[in-house]
Amino acid sequence: MIKGYRFLLLSWVWLSVLALVSVVAGFLTFIIHCGLPSVDLHLFFGDTPVWSAILGQARVWDALWPACVGTFLVIVLAAFMAIPLGVGCGIYLAQYASPPFRKIVSFNVELLAGTPSIVMGLFGFSLILFLRKTFLPQANTCLFLSAGCLALLILPYLIFTTQTALENIAQNQRLVGPSLGFNRLQTLLHVLLPAASKGIFGGIVLAVGRAAEDTAVIMLTGVIANAGLPRGVFGNFEALPFRIFYLAAEHRNQAELDSAYGTAFVLLCVVGVLFTGAYALHKTMEWRWTKH
Amino acid sequence: MNRLMKSLGLSVMFVLLLCGGSLADELTPFDSLHGEMSIAGGTAHLPVMQDAARKIMTRNSQIVITVAGGGSGVGVQKVGEGLVDIGNSGRPVSKKELAKYSDLVAFPFAVDGVAVVIHPQNPLANLTSTQIQDIFAGKITNWQQLGGSDGTINIYSRDEASGTRAVFWKKCLAKGLVAEHANIVPSNGAMKVAISRDANAIGYVSIGHIDGSVKAPLFNDVAASQENAVNGSYVVVRKLYMNTKGQPSPLVQAFITYVLGDESATSIERHGYIPLH
Amino acid sequence: MITQVKTRCQQLLMKLNTFVSIDRDFTWFDWLLLCAAVFSALIVGVLFIFLLYFTLPLFLEGKAAELFSAHWRPFHGEFGILPMVAGSLALALCSLSIAYPVGLGICLFIHGLGPEKLGRVVLLIIHFMTGIPTVIYGFVAAFVLVPFLRNAFAAGSGFSLLAAALTLSVLIVPTIVLLIHSQLQQISPALRLTATTLGISRIDELFHITLPAASYSLFAAAVLGFGRAVGDTLIALMVAGNAAQFPDSAFDSIRALTAHIALVVATDSQSSLYHSLFASGVILFITTAMVNITLNRLRARFVTSVVND
Repeated sequence: MIKGYRFLLLSWVWLSVLALVSVVAGFLTFIIHCGLPSVDLHLFFGDTPVWSAILGQARVWDALWPACVGTFLVIVLAAFMAIPLGVGCGIYLAQYASPPFRKIVSFNVELLAGTPSIVMGLFGFSLILFLRKTFLPQANTCLFLSAGCLALLILPYLIFTTQTALENIAQNQRLVGPSLGFNRLQTLLHVLLPAASKGIFGGIVLAVGRAAEDTAVIMLTGVIANAGLPRGVFGNFEALPFRIFYLAAEHRNQAELDSAYGTAFVLLCVVGVLFTGAYALHKTMEWRWTKH
Repeated sequence: MNRLMKSLGLSVMFVLLLCGGSLADELTPFDSLHGEMSIAGGTAHLPVMQDAARKIMTRNSQIVITVAGGGSGVGVQKVGEGLVDIGNSGRPVSKKELAKYSDLVAFPFAVDGVAVVIHPQNPLANLTSTQIQDIFAGKITNWQQLGGSDGTINIYSRDEASGTRAVFWKKCLAKGLVAEHANIVPSNGAMKVAISRDANAIGYVSIGHIDGSVKAPLFNDVAASQENAVNGSYVVVRKLYMNTKGQPSPLVQAFITYVLGDESATSIERHGYIPLH
Repeated sequence: MITQVKTRCQQLLMKLNTFVSIDRDFTWFDWLLLCAAVFSALIVGVLFIFLLYFTLPLFLEGKAAELFSAHWRPFHGEFGILPMVAGSLALALCSLSIAYPVGLGICLFIHGLGPEKLGRVVLLIIHFMTGIPTVIYGFVAAFVLVPFLRNAFAAGSGFSLLAAALTLSVLIVPTIVLLIHSQLQQISPALRLTATTLGISRIDELFHITLPAASYSLFAAAVLGFGRAVGDTLIALMVAGNAAQFPDSAFDSIRALTAHIALVVATDSQSSLYHSLFASGVILFITTAMVNITLNRLRARFVTSVVND
């Protein structure tokens, strides 16, 4: 009987692993098999000559380039908004805050982290409604709004990784600053931040990856299926994940479906690279801490 | 000799001008315009709108036209609130909407029908309105009950903002109930994709969207074609409207004139609708 | 009287200063950091207030009961979102019940029940999975899983609770695995050493000693997985069918609250349709907030009772 239950447990464990690994392998094989053949310049630029498309002179039709540029712009803008706030808050929580303050702020940030992304998008949408009724009757969903909501989405990642990175600096390294006569700001800038830089940078890369893959937020705040290159921050734009969703639901022919597969493959590569980078930075950081 | 050459040359030029001139005519108003324009709303209008936008933007790269879907309800609401320049709807603006946005102006540009569609391999050839009402209400649940092969009927319907749905509900279902277990898809294109992939599916779609991937059975023995829509024998029809808030700006007016013109009429026909002019 | 008020204000200000840790020598940079921290803390409150503000007309017009009715038929004037609430709950619970055993099994595999090298590879795969976008899960599920379910079980169109639950469970397995793994990593080495010296086998040690000691993460993983499943939009939107009905069987088409928001957004902005959106948003927010509060309670209860080595 003892052997019986052990056998069951072991088989459960092995089955789980096999099930998961085969599912993931199946996913990847499907995307690679259907997507890789479609990846070529035509997927990105359609019939438009490559250089004029990149320079923005000629418009690209039915292809990936506007979505790539749109995704890139929205995550860069979101990063610009979120990094100062997130890293600043993380620094404050790690270095200055009293335990009760830290507890309250951490709780609120965790609440923010747990909010579903569609609720974040709904918030952005309600912001526009509110602005239209009050101060800004011209307000409309746009790149700027999407970037703002994405910034809120990725803020918790930045705060937590910065806080953890700073809290895990070894004690003897912390003492270097005061021992040299630095004031608090100088210690921060010259000793602590460089020591925590890999962790913080890893957090930034993770946050950017999260922003690149999110669809629900941008769906409600300014992304549409056909917008071309974004003209300034107050216009509509296209994005890679929304393009996948749109083409999957409404492809008009096999060519558009193949384009969807290709887009999925490209998105997977982009996000895979970003997350692998974040993981590698995190691992290097861990290695550095455990050496002390 | 010289005079002959001169008159020949003049007549050749004249002929060229006539042909070239009449081709360039439709798009020439756009040469002197610039700016941005946004369109949103009905998904049945999308192919025509996207074609027109593409031609205009290729002609004059200083004009930018964005085209989005969302459904007729979204189109009317967005144009009423001033969020877009043209709001497309696949149904006339309702009294409630007019009461809220009193300055909407409608420009019908095509006639379209809404047809019940099934999978191409479904052997059913004809459906009566009672049958359709019973199917969508969930009273008939198996294709066998209609003479087809054994299989549960999978109903696909549209979301609330859809003008296609509003017309179908009013004219084909006679405002009857749609079963609660119907799958909901957000656009005509999505409906087509869903039906073409499910052998037991039934749904409804704008006639202009029908191609080889779906099949439209006869409705009360009348074929669901655009010809029958025009001559009145197929009753589930609606006009496609472009709506603006008040009188349109020059760029928007030029766009509307273009869509109502001859060049666009060929594009409308090519996509399976019937132009109104 | 005025001096009393003045001293009172000064006392409160001092309390605030110690709470927020404002020192006498705060520079402009420190003030900036403080602003960043206060903003990050308050923004979630602003979010909630905005959502509430837009649901207020519902309560003022007395239509709240209408919203919590059991049918969503806008053309007939019924705007009940209860089917969507039931759909979300059913989806989250089903996917959790699939993902939790799998996740726990994988964690045990990594922590000794499987070969070590293989365990590291599996952990790497789990880490990689955290990076796969949900839209790709939905995309593959719509084109592979749904036709398979449709043909294998002739019960519906394939767009169903089952399809969405299976896909969603793949999404939340990494969350569960990584959470349990992080605690096992902390407590397992010491326990493993002790168990080996006592001659207890690996499998017994894991089940009778380590897992009970890691009970915080076992609960927390379930709660966090539930929260993640409730909050996902795209899988429910692309694969669950979106019929606004109470799920009777696993093959029924259902609509989750998140998918409901995505489908109905930007329709008529004054009617109950619209208010239903914000009510859905409020319900979702409160659900995930409760998830967080539960996690905090668990942490407080379990972490203080574990002896720190």
